[in-house]
Amino acid sequence: MSPRTPNSPLRALLRAGRRLLFRWRREKLDRELAEELEFHLALKRQATGDRLSRMQMGNLTMAAEDCRDMWSFLRLERLLQDIRYAARMFRRTPGFTAIAIFSLAVGIGGNAAMFTLVNTLLVRPLPYRQPDRLVRITGVFPRAAVPFFERRNRTIDVAAVSPGSEFNLTGEGEAIRIVGSAVSANAFSVLGAAVARGRNFQSGEDSPGRDGVVILSHSLWSTQFGGDPSVIGRVILLNGMHRQIVGIMPAAFAYPSAQVQAWVPLRLDASNFLEYWGGEFVPLVARLRPGATIAEAHREIQPIIGEFRKTFPYPMSRDWNRDSTAIPLQRDLTGDIRGKLIILLCSVGLVLLIACANVASLLLSRATTRRKEIALRVALGAGRLRIVRQLLTESILLALAGGLLGILIGTGALSIFKSLLPSSTPGLAQASIDWQIAAMVAGLALVTGLAFGIAPALSASQVDLAQSIRTGSQRSTAAFWTRFRGGLIGAEVALTVVLVVSAGLLIKSLYTLSEVHPGFQPQQILTVRISPNASFCTPRQACIALYDRLLEGARQVSGVADAAVASSVPLDAEQPDLAVDVQDHPKSADFPAPMLWSGAVSPDYMNMLRIPLLAGRRITVADGPKSAKVILISASTARHFWPGQNPIGKHIKDASEQDWRTVVGVVGDVRQYSLSKAMPDGIQGAIYMPYAQAVRDDGQIPAAMTLLVKAQTMNDAPARELRSLAQSQNPNVPVGQVQPLEELVAGSIANFRATIRVFISFAAAAILLAAIGIYGLVSYWVSQRTYEIGLRVAIGATRSRIVSMILGQGLRVALYGIVAGLIAALATTRFLASLLYGVGATDPLTFAAVTGLVLAVAISATSVPAWRASRIDPINSLRVD
Amino acid sequence: MGKLPASELLPGTLDLLILRTLATGEMHGYGIAQRLKQVSGEVLQVGESSLYPALQRLLLNDWVKAQWRASENNRRARYYTLTAAGRKQLAAERAEFTRVVGAIEKVLNMA
Repeated sequence: MSPRTPNSPLRALLRAGRRLLFRWRREKLDRELAEELEFHLALKRQATGDRLSRMQMGNLTMAAEDCRDMWSFLRLERLLQDIRYAARMFRRTPGFTAIAIFSLAVGIGGNAAMFTLVNTLLVRPLPYRQPDRLVRITGVFPRAAVPFFERRNRTIDVAAVSPGSEFNLTGEGEAIRIVGSAVSANAFSVLGAAVARGRNFQSGEDSPGRDGVVILSHSLWSTQFGGDPSVIGRVILLNGMHRQIVGIMPAAFAYPSAQVQAWVPLRLDASNFLEYWGGEFVPLVARLRPGATIAEAHREIQPIIGEFRKTFPYPMSRDWNRDSTAIPLQRDLTGDIRGKLIILLCSVGLVLLIACANVASLLLSRATTRRKEIALRVALGAGRLRIVRQLLTESILLALAGGLLGILIGTGALSIFKSLLPSSTPGLAQASIDWQIAAMVAGLALVTGLAFGIAPALSASQVDLAQSIRTGSQRSTAAFWTRFRGGLIGAEVALTVVLVVSAGLLIKSLYTLSEVHPGFQPQQILTVRISPNASFCTPRQACIALYDRLLEGARQVSGVADAAVASSVPLDAEQPDLAVDVQDHPKSADFPAPMLWSGAVSPDYMNMLRIPLLAGRRITVADGPKSAKVILISASTARHFWPGQNPIGKHIKDASEQDWRTVVGVVGDVRQYSLSKAMPDGIQGAIYMPYAQAVRDDGQIPAAMTLLVKAQTMNDAPARELRSLAQSQNPNVPVGQVQPLEELVAGSIANFRATIRVFISFAAAAILLAAIGIYGLVSYWVSQRTYEIGLRVAIGATRSRIVSMILGQGLRVALYGIVAGLIAALATTRFLASLLYGVGATDPLTFAAVTGLVLAVAISATSVPAWRASRIDPINSLRVD
Repeated sequence: MGKLPASELLPGTLDLLILRTLATGEMHGYGIAQRLKQVSGEVLQVGESSLYPALQRLLLNDWVKAQWRASENNRRARYYTLTAAGRKQLAAERAEFTRVVGAIEKVLNMA
């Protein structure tokens, strides 16, 4: 019935503010109140003649107390009290606190790191103007497609950006190899990225004669040109061509990849038939015009591609770019790593869930052992809400401490995760834990604190006063929470099984991969890349002579048994594919020129790498520039084109040349592309030409070659001598680092190995947490049932009987968890399929091994408390309660 | 009729009584208690343990303001006065009280 002013929020806020102020001036208020009451008392004594009962004195104390209540900002005060109390509890149980905080920190830290990556790479918009308007047209296109698309479409502005290839930068000290991308002149304006200094490419600068310009990346500008602003306008030599530096991009610009150090115009020259229609096809990016939608662009693209296909001067397959479509550029950029990131994010999420289950279970058992204390607090007048709040404060405090430590762990984890991803990923270098992630971690900590704290708090607040105080334990309502706790641990074991099975499958994949025979022997072989400009090789004889000299010189180096050159070596990340004509296989619109992996090798190459000769003969020094053109094919090439026939004497040629080459030998298949995949999709096999007779897809002799030597000892001396030998040939020819071939092979699966290492660490964390969980659960049972066990022993149960009883109980929970985990793993491991090699997603052996492992961990975690249970002295335990 | 301690009043009534007392002029705590006792014919006895918390509450709500001044016997005393908001509150509480008492009366007078 109170007629007070309605409690408007503003009023409440004002009052709260005033209370805070009052609290601040508390001492003064206390003094004033004391004086006021003193005054009151004095007057009262006067009136009654100095006779004051003790009750009246008590009234005054209560008045002061009630007034103080009125001033203090009560909620804050209680919160501080709760926190002080919680901190005291943690100090008293350091083991529990450390385990809880550490498990949470592992979970939260891993999540912070993964969220940072996901946020930077998948969520944060690209650093370009209106990034949501940028699309990628999937597939690759000849240069001719750029003006064609520009003319025909109405919804997008199209640009071409090649993925980047190596350029020689000469005349600036030691000749070096840099990565450059050829782009159409409008590329930067389509992307909406501005140069940091200088100017953008101007329209028309992609036409022949005007394309002698280059824009540098910030990193190349600072490392090679000392960050000197006056380099703009200077002319540099790239692949032997003079180009004027016109601009410098900002440091954050990383398109098409972070490895690109320079951008040059993509020459659009319709008169250069080979380059315009053939050569390296390029990816297209585009910006939606105002008002256009991605769906409209999508509808337009296929008809345009259909028309364009007909304009090709040579027949194209009807399926060519059939599935090309417009997708958001961001999705295109993250395509390869998206799956991996999401898998890792899910698994690190599982670790957090496991950590939460663990801490909840620990808190539940602690809540139970604290019944007596809580009952006492209830008896002293604490309400149920107050108890729940106290316990929740404790769990949130734990979670926040875990979150704080988690950020530290997350920073470490982030640098590991970053090393997993290809360093060319745009934006990867910028990934760091920032305040947004810190805020998210704090939120995560709060939510997890509430999530794992609510059950224990509720369980603890249901105390039966009289019984708890009398015995300190409680047997009736505890049953539900004990079962609940068993369920928690079971779920934890299940999640652990899922993670460990995933890790197991990956480990088996890695093992299978490392056991793969790559088709060659990389042992004791040193490689060094030598890359003269293409112009250096006109006439062809110049390059043939260069490599003959190098081979001759290399054989003289002490400790070198043999030497060879090859245009590419297996697993070196080059992709030398060549469109060929094959005898008996005429091209048509449906069967265009097949693509083959092509190598140019010196006679000793096959022998040195122990690539077996399966039929015919090897290449010899007699297969020189003037003799009849010959070719070696790999076993899979022979199988694909001439199944069941003798391929020796058949003919193959580069699609653009006139003369056929005769197949003289068949050699074994080699894992050229990767250890898990011998050849990229759409490539049927390999061919090898003698270097003296070789051609590339542009009709030239391959200029850049790898020199290989067989070393008798793998020490530094031959490597050093080899490099100086190569450098002494010509100062304008860049020479790479000497690298053992075995390192190249190992490096090709380094990313995969790193992914697996992270997975193993997740799985190990999960197993550790699960072991702690099971141990805690069983220890708790034992401590709760000390009386009962004592009784059993007293009436004749043997020690082994007690041990098997406790073991049985612990294992039952573990088994439920394992079964549930195996079912969950069966359902989920197929999402890993893209990472697996040579092992099924439901590999029974892995599943069995993981079951055994988790069971063994469960048994050892149970056996300690079980053993302790068997030592219970009946006399003591019966006396306790 | 015996004495009625303040704790047995209808809730909120003590605030109303204090506000009404202060409407007659500035007064210190002891004075308010004395005035209530006098005016009610010694029926309403307000103890310190109710009076001073109630005064703090009224202060917090800005319905009264307090000032230290020398009292009639030359000691420092805290004098309370009604604010404009307090006057409004007094009118509102008074109307509400009348309404409730009227309602109670109706119940008591039913046939």
